[in-house]
Amino acid sequence: MDKIFPTQEIGSLAKPAWRVKAYRGEPLSQEEISEAIEWGRKLGVEDTEALAKILKKREKTVEDRKAVLQWSALYAIRLFETAGLDIIFDGEQWRSEMYEHVIRNTEGFEFLGYVKSFDYRYFNKAACISKPKYVKPFYLDEFLFTKENTRKIIKVPFTGPYTLVDWTFNEYYEKKAASQARDFKQRKASARREFLFDLVKEVVRPEIAKLIEAGATWIQIDEPAATTNPSNEEMQLFVEAFNETVRGFNCTFSLHNCYSNYEVLAKYASQLRNCSQLALEFANRDSTQLGTDNKVRVGYRELKIFEEQGYHGNYGLGVIDVHTDFIEPPELVRDRILYAAKIVGDPGRIFVSTDCGLRTRKWEVSFAKLKNMVLGAELARMTLQ
Amino acid sequence: MIGCYVTGILPRPKKLIEVTRAYDRKKVDKETLEKAFQEATKEVIEAQVQAELSYITDGMLKWQDLLRPFTENLEGLAVGSLARWFNNNAFYRKPVILDTIRRTKNIVASITYIQFLPKDLPWKAILPAPYTFAKLSENKFYKNEREVMFAYAEAIREEIKNLAEIGFQYIQLSDPALVYNPLKEKIPKDMLVDVKEALRTAMKNAKVRSCLHTFFGDFSEILPEALDFPVNDLGIDMYETNVDKLKEYTFDGKGVALGLLDARGSLIEDEDELLRVVNELTETISSKTCDIFVCPNCDLEFLPWEKAREKIEVMSRVAKTLKARMHAHG
Repeated sequence: MDKIFPTQEIGSLAKPAWRVKAYRGEPLSQEEISEAIEWGRKLGVEDTEALAKILKKREKTVEDRKAVLQWSALYAIRLFETAGLDIIFDGEQWRSEMYEHVIRNTEGFEFLGYVKSFDYRYFNKAACISKPKYVKPFYLDEFLFTKENTRKIIKVPFTGPYTLVDWTFNEYYEKKAASQARDFKQRKASARREFLFDLVKEVVRPEIAKLIEAGATWIQIDEPAATTNPSNEEMQLFVEAFNETVRGFNCTFSLHNCYSNYEVLAKYASQLRNCSQLALEFANRDSTQLGTDNKVRVGYRELKIFEEQGYHGNYGLGVIDVHTDFIEPPELVRDRILYAAKIVGDPGRIFVSTDCGLRTRKWEVSFAKLKNMVLGAELARMTLQ
Repeated sequence: MIGCYVTGILPRPKKLIEVTRAYDRKKVDKETLEKAFQEATKEVIEAQVQAELSYITDGMLKWQDLLRPFTENLEGLAVGSLARWFNNNAFYRKPVILDTIRRTKNIVASITYIQFLPKDLPWKAILPAPYTFAKLSENKFYKNEREVMFAYAEAIREEIKNLAEIGFQYIQLSDPALVYNPLKEKIPKDMLVDVKEALRTAMKNAKVRSCLHTFFGDFSEILPEALDFPVNDLGIDMYETNVDKLKEYTFDGKGVALGLLDARGSLIEDEDELLRVVNELTETISSKTCDIFVCPNCDLEFLPWEKAREKIEVMSRVAKTLKARMHAHG
């Protein structure tokens, strides 16, 4: 990058009501259509009349539904561009959800139904019922669309294999291992390992190869489950899977992990090969007071652990909390960046990010947060210059 | 005696999930939600009755997490932030201890659908064990975790007494934190002495059968101390426990609850294999008088209800075969 503190988003952006309803083929209210047009105007999107025409249709064809995905991706691209970000994608507007999108487009899985995450929140959990098979690209189309529609640097968010395995029942491999392992514990461990590396080989690497062939230069591996099992065996498995995922590809790779145990991750971060950046969540752990001393910047303490443990790569520094509507003032963003730069010692290692994808925030909030993130990065640059 | 039972929160059936999601989005009212809970509770109780389980629970469908009824209803506590539930893709809300822990009302009884429990069958209630409650809390009041453990143990003593009076015959204290040890730290012996004393406090004068059920970790790590715990039965997660080490001990005078059904995996177990495992284990770890319960390793709520029900049926058939074989051998 030709400047310090480049800004980036992590992945998802909320899907606007018009995108959700129109894609489902449901009728839209006049208010929802107006909202689409108004955002188009705000973001400088051309020919929004064509979108309005589709949204107003009572019956939507397959082509209409695909067009709606493209429109919402275009809107997301423009939102990131208008906010002033340096590195972008399409807000994952084409994906139903980070887990389901991959599993539904891969052979060997069957969704069993919803299981509880917490309270009245659930997730649709699949079982692996046969060896995973790559049948069609699942990120390629959205990458090509993004490439066509922006001149910014593109970073493709890619759900990591460790997370996919951790969130999936492992019927096929556990059954296969039944005669091989002596006890249940060993059986589950060996089945998990085989599942993971088959998934990397059969599905993940073929998709990465397709993306690179199509011109992708930066892929962000999303592994929210990375530290779910903090034992040494599991963390080694995670590292091995990451290294195998990226092995030999001529592409920049980074890792995103959030709401996790960073003490655990820090211990293993230096073992990740070809990982140019760790995009981590810090703002959620931090105070909102201004300042750059230890007492105020409590959320960024764990950066020290990564440094002490010998990690020397770049950071995607989460300076925006994605779970609140609080709009971080540019000065707060600036202080978070400057504090981190002080710890890391080299401002060139810091990329300014949101904690995670902004999919739970309304577009107004996301837009305001991102604009301030960009302003805060500029203030930090000015301070150091 | 050979028996079988469930060991925790059951999954919410599909229809109930739909209603709870709708309630969360403010699409249905409280009355509709309550009705859905009642219908689903009847369904999961019926499944247990049909499977002829030794003790019946109401399925605990209303429990948002194992700790929540206590977090919300014990005095001195506040509901804290979300935290990961051990090594699962599931979360609980941390109990935040702000003042002396006091029990001022019936907690489990008020959240349990006692009216739907069959009158002619024995009932089972499940509570968090003192060590797990202390370990998972955010303590802002007591001097240390040990004090929290004993304060909670005192508080649930009355609760257990109340449950026994209502008619519950079996109390399970769930203690995952006691064996969950991913970083393989050495478990201090004096801590296990404290755990034993806290259990004694909680179970004092309780006229019920009791079990300390452990899961998500290796039970053999707390042996031989666990053999002295003041409970009737000890629950073991067979998917996390080193079986060879387990076989080094004899469980004289204690019943064992063998967590043979994997609640974190959807693959339906092979009944012959489960029978073989039980036979191998009982030959070494138990005396002839030792009671054996076949059960899931942990809460079945990690599965969709249909899979959980299938596993309950497998569990029941395995227990029946074991019983038949025992009778055949006199």
